[in-house]
Amino acid sequence: MLSQLTSQFPANDFTLLAAVLLLPLIGAFVCGIFGKRLGKEGVRLMALSAVFGSFIASVVTFIMVAAAPHTATKAARLSWKAWHWFDVTGRGRSVVPIDVSFSVDALSATMMLIVTGVGFLIHLYSTGYMAKDEGFYRFFAYLNLFIFSMLVLILGDNLLVLFVGWEGVGLCSYLLIGFWFDDEKKAAAGKKAFIANRIGDFGLLVAMAMLVYYAGTLSWDGLEAAQSAMAEQRTVWSASYLREFPDWLVWLRDLVTPEQPVRMMVATMVALALFIGCIGKSAQIPLFVWLPDAMAGPTPVSALIHAATMVTAGIYLVCRTSFIFALSPLAMAVVAGTGALTALFAASIAFAQTDLKKVLAYSTVSQLGFMFIGVGVGAFAAGFFHVITHAFFKGCLFLCAGSVIHAMHARVHDETASQDMRNMGGLRKYMPITHMTFLVSCLAIAGFPLTSGFWSKDELLFKAFTNTIVPLNPNIITPPLWYGQMIYAIGIVAAVGTAFYMFRAYFMTFHGDFRGWSIVAGFKPPAHDDHHDDDHADHDEPLEGPVPHESPRSMTVPLIILAFFAAIGGFVYAEPLHQVWPLEMFVSLEHFWSPVFATASKFVTTRPGSEAMMWPLLGVGAGVSLFGIGAAYWVYIVQKGEPAKAFVARAGGLHRLVLDKWRIDELYDATILGLIDAMGDIAAQCDRWIVDGIIAKLTSGVVKVTGHALRLLHTGRVQVYAASMVVGTAVIGWYVFTPHAEATIDARRVRPQGQVRFEAAAGHGYRYRWHIDGETVPDIFSGRRNFSMQLERCEQKTAVLTIKNAFDREAVTTYTQCRESKPGCCKPTDTPAPKKEALLGRVDGGVR
Amino acid sequence: MSDSVFFAIAPLLVVSLGGLLLMMTEVFATRRADADGPSSDLAMGTFITMLAGAITAFALWLVGPDNLAGAKAVAPYLLVDRFTLFFDMVLCLGGGIAALLAGGYLPEHKLDRGEFYPLLIFSTAGAMVLASAGDLLSLFIGLETMSLGVYAMVGFRRGSMRSTEAAIKYFLLGSFAAALLMYGGALLYGVTGKTALAGIGAAIRAGVSSTDWGILLLSMVLILAGLAFKVSAVPFHMWTPDAYEGAPTPATSFMAVAVKSAAFAMMLRVLISVFGDPLSTSWGTGWPPVVALLAVLTMTVANLVAGRQSSVKRMLAYSSVAHAGYVLVGVVALVEEPGTAQGSIMFYLLSYTVSTAGAFGALILCGSRGKEAVSYEDLAGLGKRHPAVALIFSFFLLSLAGMPPTAGFFGKLYIVSSSIGAGLHTLAVLLVLNSVLAAYYYLRVMEYMYMREPAAGAPIAVPMRSGYVRAALAICAVAVLVLGLWPTSSLSMAIDAALALR
Amino acid sequence: MATYLPLFMLFGVAALIAGGMFVATTWAGPKVPNDAKAEPFECGNPSDGARNIRPSVKFYLTALLFVVFDIEAVMIYPWAVQFRELGYTGFFTMASFLALLAIVLIYAWRKGALEWEK
Repeated sequence: MLSQLTSQFPANDFTLLAAVLLLPLIGAFVCGIFGKRLGKEGVRLMALSAVFGSFIASVVTFIMVAAAPHTATKAARLSWKAWHWFDVTGRGRSVVPIDVSFSVDALSATMMLIVTGVGFLIHLYSTGYMAKDEGFYRFFAYLNLFIFSMLVLILGDNLLVLFVGWEGVGLCSYLLIGFWFDDEKKAAAGKKAFIANRIGDFGLLVAMAMLVYYAGTLSWDGLEAAQSAMAEQRTVWSASYLREFPDWLVWLRDLVTPEQPVRMMVATMVALALFIGCIGKSAQIPLFVWLPDAMAGPTPVSALIHAATMVTAGIYLVCRTSFIFALSPLAMAVVAGTGALTALFAASIAFAQTDLKKVLAYSTVSQLGFMFIGVGVGAFAAGFFHVITHAFFKGCLFLCAGSVIHAMHARVHDETASQDMRNMGGLRKYMPITHMTFLVSCLAIAGFPLTSGFWSKDELLFKAFTNTIVPLNPNIITPPLWYGQMIYAIGIVAAVGTAFYMFRAYFMTFHGDFRGWSIVAGFKPPAHDDHHDDDHADHDEPLEGPVPHESPRSMTVPLIILAFFAAIGGFVYAEPLHQVWPLEMFVSLEHFWSPVFATASKFVTTRPGSEAMMWPLLGVGAGVSLFGIGAAYWVYIVQKGEPAKAFVARAGGLHRLVLDKWRIDELYDATILGLIDAMGDIAAQCDRWIVDGIIAKLTSGVVKVTGHALRLLHTGRVQVYAASMVVGTAVIGWYVFTPHAEATIDARRVRPQGQVRFEAAAGHGYRYRWHIDGETVPDIFSGRRNFSMQLERCEQKTAVLTIKNAFDREAVTTYTQCRESKPGCCKPTDTPAPKKEALLGRVDGGVR
Repeated sequence: MSDSVFFAIAPLLVVSLGGLLLMMTEVFATRRADADGPSSDLAMGTFITMLAGAITAFALWLVGPDNLAGAKAVAPYLLVDRFTLFFDMVLCLGGGIAALLAGGYLPEHKLDRGEFYPLLIFSTAGAMVLASAGDLLSLFIGLETMSLGVYAMVGFRRGSMRSTEAAIKYFLLGSFAAALLMYGGALLYGVTGKTALAGIGAAIRAGVSSTDWGILLLSMVLILAGLAFKVSAVPFHMWTPDAYEGAPTPATSFMAVAVKSAAFAMMLRVLISVFGDPLSTSWGTGWPPVVALLAVLTMTVANLVAGRQSSVKRMLAYSSVAHAGYVLVGVVALVEEPGTAQGSIMFYLLSYTVSTAGAFGALILCGSRGKEAVSYEDLAGLGKRHPAVALIFSFFLLSLAGMPPTAGFFGKLYIVSSSIGAGLHTLAVLLVLNSVLAAYYYLRVMEYMYMREPAAGAPIAVPMRSGYVRAALAICAVAVLVLGLWPTSSLSMAIDAALALR
Repeated sequence: MATYLPLFMLFGVAALIAGGMFVATTWAGPKVPNDAKAEPFECGNPSDGARNIRPSVKFYLTALLFVVFDIEAVMIYPWAVQFRELGYTGFFTMASFLALLAIVLIYAWRKGALEWEK
């Protein structure tokens, strides 16, 4: 069976990927174009079967990847080249071909399984959740398109194909956030997500440009092989970049010019640029603001895109390019540090939120931070494993939240009120399945021992404590040794927070008494109260309503499946367990992935004695989660929430600040968005006032002076336009009228022979006069552009170039050169400082 | 004079004669009172004429202009080389799409008068002459033939004050610019004694007498100013938004697409043939720094102002100015990277032609009589009411914004890569930053279409029904996609064409 | 630069004289307006009726057509003088030119441009 498949789909022409990719695309196409005609049943069938078909193909692919021959250092890779896309020119005019090609290895095989599998469950759930929505077909078209884009992102064999998918998922996310575009807020949320992602994309584009230039390829295999190019040190900032500076700005040059040229490793630059992309997509500090707002979309979208799959694309990208990141300890430290800070910061915001989806949103941001801690400390497998477990438990949590909101919608239609945990409570009696699955997932995210979250979070925090990144050579900047422990400490604090706020949400939602409305048995909704009626959210008298209902089966089945995996999913990557009970299953995933990270792991070592630390740290992890859960139990069940109220009363200001998310949004609005708006305003005002105003006034002034007759022509604004053209022509004319004395300096031979050569720039009608400062000035101008100057050792001379142009106007430039045979032997002489100082003999080539 | 002259200028002849024929059919056709207006058949006729022109040009491309004996007979007044043929195809494409758009737009908005089509055809013919002109005289004739038709098309909506005003403004300033150009040309003739572009270039290369340098520089300034007007570079751009907004949308599309491409063809010819010598391309007295400054100003000002517009049509007008700025970056790169830069410019113009014509076409399709889509608010909620229209509009906007895998992405990519190859890193960075800035206002249209509901009581734009407009959009969409997915072959065509100019 | 100096000086002087005279008369002259002075000076009969009377657009149309055929005459005359020397090439060139103009005339005619009353 497998051998037949292998012969059907050889490793270098693995067309099965086409099926994986195209099925969702066809689904999106059919649902989007014919959706209205197909009807809901047809759309449901189409969308579900497309994703399910893709899932089946993914399973087959996964099995084939697992069975494909691989070694400990070389991962199996099945690839399929669709077509040759285009060429770009790289360094030294080399041609860099870019193909539309896809490939799958252990990492992407796992991820595609998650995307199609969880994706299918969420599709299934949505058929229930969205059943009454009129945009049903549009929703499934977008959702299928999302699955397609995400698969392109995962399966792309080079960075550009990944980027296409990256943009595609961004577009789908944008469309789905604004799916119910009935209010301004959601449109604004969509826009915010878009802008944050554009900033990230900029980083990705820069990274691509650098990779094309330095590595000459964008494909994963090629990049992995291009390690030497990646390890190159390049000057990124040196004095020579600011040679030509006008006199009145010289102080600025001196201010920003470093003593030594700043050099950076290519890998560091590329990795940091890539990471900017990851920050945007995976909602890390400082670009995390879009993700909580993105929860404005339908809840299944939050579960699929903004929790389980798309937002983890950043971690996927870091893992995919782990061989670049691992080269640079600095970039790794930035990744881990950003992750740790985000984990802590987002957890702190989640403490005060009362909107159930907002709590989950901030917890997602926080968990993404944990993942970046993992990949940032070199525990790529552990970090990515957290992606997988997170997909299960966070997907499940969001779907549970959706189920609760669905129930709340029976009487509360206002969106804010239906998601407010203060209106819930006691739901465990009414929604047993939702309650159980929510509890299981909460335990998993809190890291309760033996759940999936416990294994993944503990593994990556353990690695944060013990791992160090070994630099390729001692010149490379590395973080201090205690950095890992610090990350660990922040992670532990964030983990306590996670356990606490998740159980706060659990207790507030499912325990205590129901606070949404007073339950009346056999309640019949009033006749006028159809589903779209929003008007009774602010009634003063207590609302009456039916017994809250459990969701339909299409919604509970995905919950059960996801909760099941959230509970037991961790056993495929439970290294501590493997030590007491050497069963292959406990390390199977790690072994499956290890060839993918083989290149990167060469740079990762564990500090001595880390084996012994394993059990104590595991204990700390378990203790942390139990402590957090216990604290939440004490505050919200034993004390009925009194301590929390007391805290709010005592430190109201702090509470408000946290509730307002530390006012980060306001800060951005005031600074960055304000700046952009201001710039646009300035330009528009310029057009209106400077051009229309000043120039118009100027012309009218001129018109006044020249006489009355011309004023008769001054009827419209067309003169202004003409005036602007005249000014433009005059400026061009002025440029040509002004002589520009510039010369190329060839100082290659200044040290050995003491000879400096100059060549003045050419121009129509230019005549030149060269002399050395202090010597006699020839009085004739000639067509000779070249000049050379002979220097003794440690001698400094100034060459003076005078240019006379076609209009007999003159310009002078001076070039001071020194033969610096010993460092520092050139002393500025007593002569007054030359007007325009060129670089000292440090230039190692002619700079134009 | 041999027969093969007619082969050599066949695309031009096909278009012109087709135009005459259509004129005659229009005036002699008898129409029943209840029949459709003249657009119903003239639009198709015009499109077929343009298509025939493009096909003829392509046929000549395959034959190879070097194999045409007649090509030498019309030189230097009309140069028949791959450069000309490439532009013939682009211009016919732009003109043909404009004809299809007019076929839907004019009857819908009660402007259905047959004159529009001959004007369109003869403007296109003028543009083709302009693109192939190798002599100042034919260049000027081409320029004026093209411009006169366009002036009339801008003012085609005779009853509208705005349209008339736009036409007058465009006409006045256009004449001003033509005068500058002509004066520059006259000075060049005075200095070199030649009118053929190549001859002037050779004379400048050989050097002029020392007293004439000043006049030469002055002529360069005047010609640059005239060219900058025609490609609507800042600060010579101010007519553009008014004229684009006042003109009926098919005419706007024609101006944004064909007129601009022809102007860039003229610019390339003049800058390369006349001012291609080392002195004229030096950064001291040459045009590169001037064009670089124009490029930066054009991109930045146009993008910033475009973001503040409330009318989509005006926004697209500013966006076309901004695109001219991107192309100007490629023009600067000509000096260091002649082949690839010029190829990238021409590819850009091709991709820009299909994207922009598509965007204007989609805007036409969004509105019907009395319910024309002009402002962002008019488009609110369109994605929900008419998903197909909104989808195709978004597609063209994404191409204009330069998102892969559309034509616009590769246009920008090639321009950026050629400018980096030419060592113009600052310009390349500014171009990329500007395209990020531009994404904002293109996406704003999509935001309105997909994420807003129309305000209560606001007039709702209702998409029109027209097979012509749909056909035009289909052509554009296919072209955008094909250029985006397989850019290599059209790029190599553009580079072939570029090499013809050296 | 020096070469062009006289030219620039000429421009300057011309502008100065023109502007100067204009400014000087406006400044120096006494202004005592009366009805008689406000009349157009020696420009035919005193006008009556509205000033902004618009002549019919037909005038312009006719004038334009006249220019077209006037140019035709301008072209034909030198060709006629050189008729033999130019031979058949000249003949066919001129014939196609005339054909073009004929088409234009037919077009204008059919479009009603030549009808005064309509």
